Amino acid sequence: MSGDPRVRIEGVSHRYGAVAALEDVSLDIADGEFVTLLGPSGCGKTTLLRIVAGFERPSAGRVLLAGEDVTGRPAHKRATNMVFQRPTLFPHLDVFANVAFGLQVAGVGKADQRARVREALELVRLEGYERRRSHELSGGQMQRIALARALVNRPKVLLLDEPLSALDLKIRLDMEVELRRVHRETGATFVYVTHDQREAMALSDRIAVMNAGRIEQIGAPTDVYRRPTSVFAAQFVGDANVLPVDVVEAGDEESTVQLGDTRHQVRCPRPQPGPAWLVLRPEAVEMRAGTPEETPGTLQGIVRDVAFRGTGFGCRIELPALGAQVKAEGRGATPPFDVDDEVGIDWRPESCWLLPRERGDDTPPPPVTSEPESDPAQARA
Amino acid sequence: MSPGRFTGLVTVAGMLFLWLPLLVVVLFSLHTTASLSFPFDGFSLRWYERISESPEVRAAARNSLVVATSTALVTLVLATLAAYGMSRSRSRWRAPLSLLFFLPITLPGLFIGIALLIAFSRLEYSLSLVTVTVAHLVYVFPFFFLLARAALERLDPALEEAAADLGATGWTIFRRVTLPQVWPVLVGAACLAFALSFDEFIITFFVVGPDPTLPLFIWSSLRRTIDPSINAISTLLLAFTVLLFVVTFALTSWGERRRRGTVDPLVLTGAQEPR
Repeated sequence: MSGDPRVRIEGVSHRYGAVAALEDVSLDIADGEFVTLLGPSGCGKTTLLRIVAGFERPSAGRVLLAGEDVTGRPAHKRATNMVFQRPTLFPHLDVFANVAFGLQVAGVGKADQRARVREALELVRLEGYERRRSHELSGGQMQRIALARALVNRPKVLLLDEPLSALDLKIRLDMEVELRRVHRETGATFVYVTHDQREAMALSDRIAVMNAGRIEQIGAPTDVYRRPTSVFAAQFVGDANVLPVDVVEAGDEESTVQLGDTRHQVRCPRPQPGPAWLVLRPEAVEMRAGTPEETPGTLQGIVRDVAFRGTGFGCRIELPALGAQVKAEGRGATPPFDVDDEVGIDWRPESCWLLPRERGDDTPPPPVTSEPESDPAQARA
Repeated sequence: MSPGRFTGLVTVAGMLFLWLPLLVVVLFSLHTTASLSFPFDGFSLRWYERISESPEVRAAARNSLVVATSTALVTLVLATLAAYGMSRSRSRWRAPLSLLFFLPITLPGLFIGIALLIAFSRLEYSLSLVTVTVAHLVYVFPFFFLLARAALERLDPALEEAAADLGATGWTIFRRVTLPQVWPVLVGAACLAFALSFDEFIITFFVVGPDPTLPLFIWSSLRRTIDPSINAISTLLLAFTVLLFVVTFALTSWGERRRRGTVDPLVLTGAQEPR
């Protein structure tokens, strides 16, 4: 097993009737890695997780755990454990019996059970909750018990299917901290499914961005954010302005692009000369007040909306030359502009990115919003 | 007359119509004399004493208990299995099969009785308490099936998946996860099956052998004489059946409350701390 990845997904395809949920997905996950499958509803991420868990058998392809082919093996014979989207604590059992369930099924002795349950509850910081029933727990506590119930079996791979999506934002943020700590302390491999790009970036070693049954991009959160490989990935991970440009001078380090009437420098290795998409994050947009004469070399726009965001101000700026709007973020304690102000925008060459574009295609696809996932059990029914 | 008054009057009249005959039966089961008409001469328990000493009544009661108990137990096992299978099946035959399981609920008792009588005579199987029990199984199965299937389908399938994920196999999952959540409903449904069997008359009338059940005994006694001991038996039968229905109701609703204990939506979102 030495050189084998902890999880290997090899050419997996899956269909529900006539609907293709996954198309030829391959992915290697190293031992101890925290990998997130990120995508909008219906992109196949939950199906992929259920295939790794053994709840579904793929129509084609193989799943290997530590080099061993487990494709045909049902869930109860796999060294994986799962935390579900909804809390799935057994309502007729108390916390101890819930956490000890896997140990009891495996025939672990009573004394060992007690020790390991205590250890698991310490790990999720709920010591002393053994005798509670699930209706005496809050949503966050239930998911922590579900985490303990999975971890007590010392799984090599822990699968998490949107475990935080049913929780309030504040509790979700606390739980993210807990999950990172538990991942560090156990050293287990985590495979995490979410539609929440913020959560994915905060938690993962690597993110696999999924769309329409395929993996669009896989990489570290900073890579996916700064160097997306597709317009979909750029728009789904973080906020992005995607503008049609033409590369007029392609260089090894920096290139020059034409955007409307102005030219700008972009640091992106060896783009194809010709049409391209410029990916510009809102926080990278630099705004200066003034008419075109006062702000030479910048792209001219009119402020259409200003919203206070706590850490700064979110602006929407209309660019008449392009017939497009861009989102920008202004730092500071007071609103940088008023609505209808004239501004010039610019950016540093290293804070944007280029993606290939077909000639004649100048409207970027509408961004896919990450809506809360519907319940997979109900979606199948 | 105001609408409220009218509604009140109709309600009272309806209640009297429903309950007065029952009250009369109960009242005269406690009469001191053998008279079944007013004036009422006073209370005594002599008719209850008489039936408790009657070997025929005791035999009929025993027969009914045996039949009802066997019917309830066999139905408990068979209909639970059928309902579990139907609630977990992903087959496209699931809906038509399910329909076949509970459709007999619409069959007239007369029809079931005649059909079974023909079947038993074709098979040359002599009528006895066994044939009565078989007939009652046919009769109560759909009632039990409907209750059990409804309870099983309300269970969250993710709980069974969670158990499988933790290493449990089919039988262990059923025994340790499914059954503990639905048993109150199943026991309640078994009480209902018992009650239905215990006072069944029409079907029993066709397939009964030499040993009568309690309802049949009452009917045949009425043909000979009319005395208040019949009222006493009927009152006991009434009390017993009502008790069983109360138990059924209590168990099914308790089971439902217990099962739902986890999904208080406010607690789920963390918006509210649990009590």
